[in-house]
Amino acid sequence: MNTLNLPERWRDAVETVKRWSRINSPWALHFNSGSCNGCDIELLATLTPRFDLERLGVKLQASPRQADILICTGPVTRLARERLLRVYEQMPSPKYVIALGACAVSGGVFQGCYNVVGRVDAVLPVDVYVPGCPPRPEAIIDGMVKLLAQLQAGEKEKPG
Amino acid sequence: MTETSRLLEQAAQITTPWGKSFTAPEANRLDVVIDANDLPAAAAALNAACWGYLAAITGLDRGADDGRIEALYHFCAGAAVAALRVTTPRAEARLPSICAAYPSASIFERELSEMLGVTFVGTPDVTPLFLPEDWSPDAYPLRKDIDLSQPNTVPVRPPPTNGENGKHFIIPIGPQHPALKEPGHFEFSVAGETVIGATVRLGYAHRGIEKAVEQRNWVQDLYLLERICGICSHIHATAYCLGVEKLAEVTVPPRAETIRTLFAELERLHSHMLWLGVAAHEAGFDTLFMAAWRDRETVMDLLEQISGNRVHYSVNVLGGVKFDLEPQHIDALLNGAAFIEERARYYFDLVNHDPLFNRRTRGVGVMTAEQAETIGVVGPTARGSGIVRDVRVEAPYLAYTRCPVEPIVETDGDLAARFSVRIRELLESCRLIRVLLETLPEGALQTRMPRRIRAGEAISRVEAPRGELFYFVKSGGGEMPERIHARTPTLCNLASALILSIGRPLADIPMILVGVDPCFSCNDRTATIHTADGSAEDETWTWERLRRYGIEATR
Repeated sequence: MNTLNLPERWRDAVETVKRWSRINSPWALHFNSGSCNGCDIELLATLTPRFDLERLGVKLQASPRQADILICTGPVTRLARERLLRVYEQMPSPKYVIALGACAVSGGVFQGCYNVVGRVDAVLPVDVYVPGCPPRPEAIIDGMVKLLAQLQAGEKEKPG
Repeated sequence: MTETSRLLEQAAQITTPWGKSFTAPEANRLDVVIDANDLPAAAAALNAACWGYLAAITGLDRGADDGRIEALYHFCAGAAVAALRVTTPRAEARLPSICAAYPSASIFERELSEMLGVTFVGTPDVTPLFLPEDWSPDAYPLRKDIDLSQPNTVPVRPPPTNGENGKHFIIPIGPQHPALKEPGHFEFSVAGETVIGATVRLGYAHRGIEKAVEQRNWVQDLYLLERICGICSHIHATAYCLGVEKLAEVTVPPRAETIRTLFAELERLHSHMLWLGVAAHEAGFDTLFMAAWRDRETVMDLLEQISGNRVHYSVNVLGGVKFDLEPQHIDALLNGAAFIEERARYYFDLVNHDPLFNRRTRGVGVMTAEQAETIGVVGPTARGSGIVRDVRVEAPYLAYTRCPVEPIVETDGDLAARFSVRIRELLESCRLIRVLLETLPEGALQTRMPRRIRAGEAISRVEAPRGELFYFVKSGGGEMPERIHARTPTLCNLASALILSIGRPLADIPMILVGVDPCFSCNDRTATIHTADGSAEDETWTWERLRRYGIEATR
């Protein structure tokens, strides 16, 4: 924006529009870093007609380059760690991370397993934790709403 | 003489030239101890006689005192299980490969060499399957003396190449995937649009559960094993319970058996509907995806109503079940089954008569019955190719002994056949649920289990939604198991997807992969394309070059 040399007011206006659009169409990327599939199918169930997360504008997006939110499920395995970081780095800023399920939050039952690095926030900064084994779709929606409310309040604006 | 004992006698006859001792640990089992050098010959003889199929290879570390590693080659025919047992010194573990007779052994041998450090002489593929690239080549997780307080890492070795020469593109798919489930990494070599080679790298979700169970007690393991998979959690727990109960010589009350079976069928319903949605999504038929998942919620509601949970319902305890069926549950189950039946008939009509959808499924990924036998596929994937392979039919367990299952088989062997098999299985499961409820016995839910389990080995085979699930449970007589080996159906079926994709256009690959229901649906957006020519130099294409290629290729 700065390169366009816009007046201050315009810049504010553009930022407002950007935030508005981000809150109304948060595209999410799902990464399974070693989960048992339980959280993954519940996340998917959340997107299907009964729960319909899409009514909040949330769309599951295949490419990290177009995603705003990274939804991580499962403990981070040693092999997945590097991939998880790579996916995170490919996402444009500002970006947010949701740790979904007991394993992503704490390592769950897989704490201490030899191929497990640990919970997600040992690898990435996490914004919202959704506990449960697996979390119910209602809990997933609640986590998403909490993240969007934080965005609305401007608490989570990170440097671009 | 029963069919099973006839089969076991036949197996004993076939292996007589090499057998050093023959024992029958259970009524349906035969253990044949042979010399390691005779392994290929004995396996070839079983194969030549068409005696069963190779179900799993279990490796056991017998400890530093014994100084040997034991490998058990489990062959299954009907309800009979014959195991060839061989040992090799721990210090220099070396076994001959049996891939010449059983190509499907390759993936089991890869697993065993990685986990227990056995070198297989003559095995075609030695690349890592589960462990990370930086894992120390001298550390074998399932050996008893491994020090897991150390990270066991080494500087990264160069990535293995598949050794193919000539100019071809490799399209990586995975492990990050747009919609779903398990991460796996596939590499497809393509000539133009046609796939000419395929490799798989697993291990992104490898957590080391088989080691972890050795460090927890029998009850804790139940909950850990349930979390091998969030889709078929009940059937994993059931297989484990059946094995442990056999060892403890505990009989589960009939009511508990029926409730376990009922949950297994509910699990099959929700798993098949989940699969139907995912497979439709891969074909671009998102309406069916949403419809299947909406209807699946009916099953999830039933599971939740009875157990309180949607996914890890934890019905099993060692010795029985936790939850009883109340009259209102029975009504809800009957209504649910009627609804799913109606929907399944609609899906069946849809996937068989929608002309667009049929162009993605008819004649795609055809696997003949002979191929299916050679590759060693299990479950609906095998049944789509005309092979009656269903543990519920071949070796009935739990309430299936009282309520027989009609095996669902299609003979076309293509994707359409696999769709038909799974949808017809929805109808069969609904019928079973009705029969189970009609014949629900009265009585207790649990039998008391001892805390320590008698020493011994037990094998339990159950039919998971994706195929045969094979558990090997070994107790040393203590509070913790000595070894638990779980051979999941996907491990058998995955190879078929790779073989079937050769010669198909790249666009068919997601459908073929999802056709075996491998807990997999990946589509990595390709950032770079490697051209491997004779000099094996990697070349990264620029966006401009890629775009130009795309325009010219489709002109």
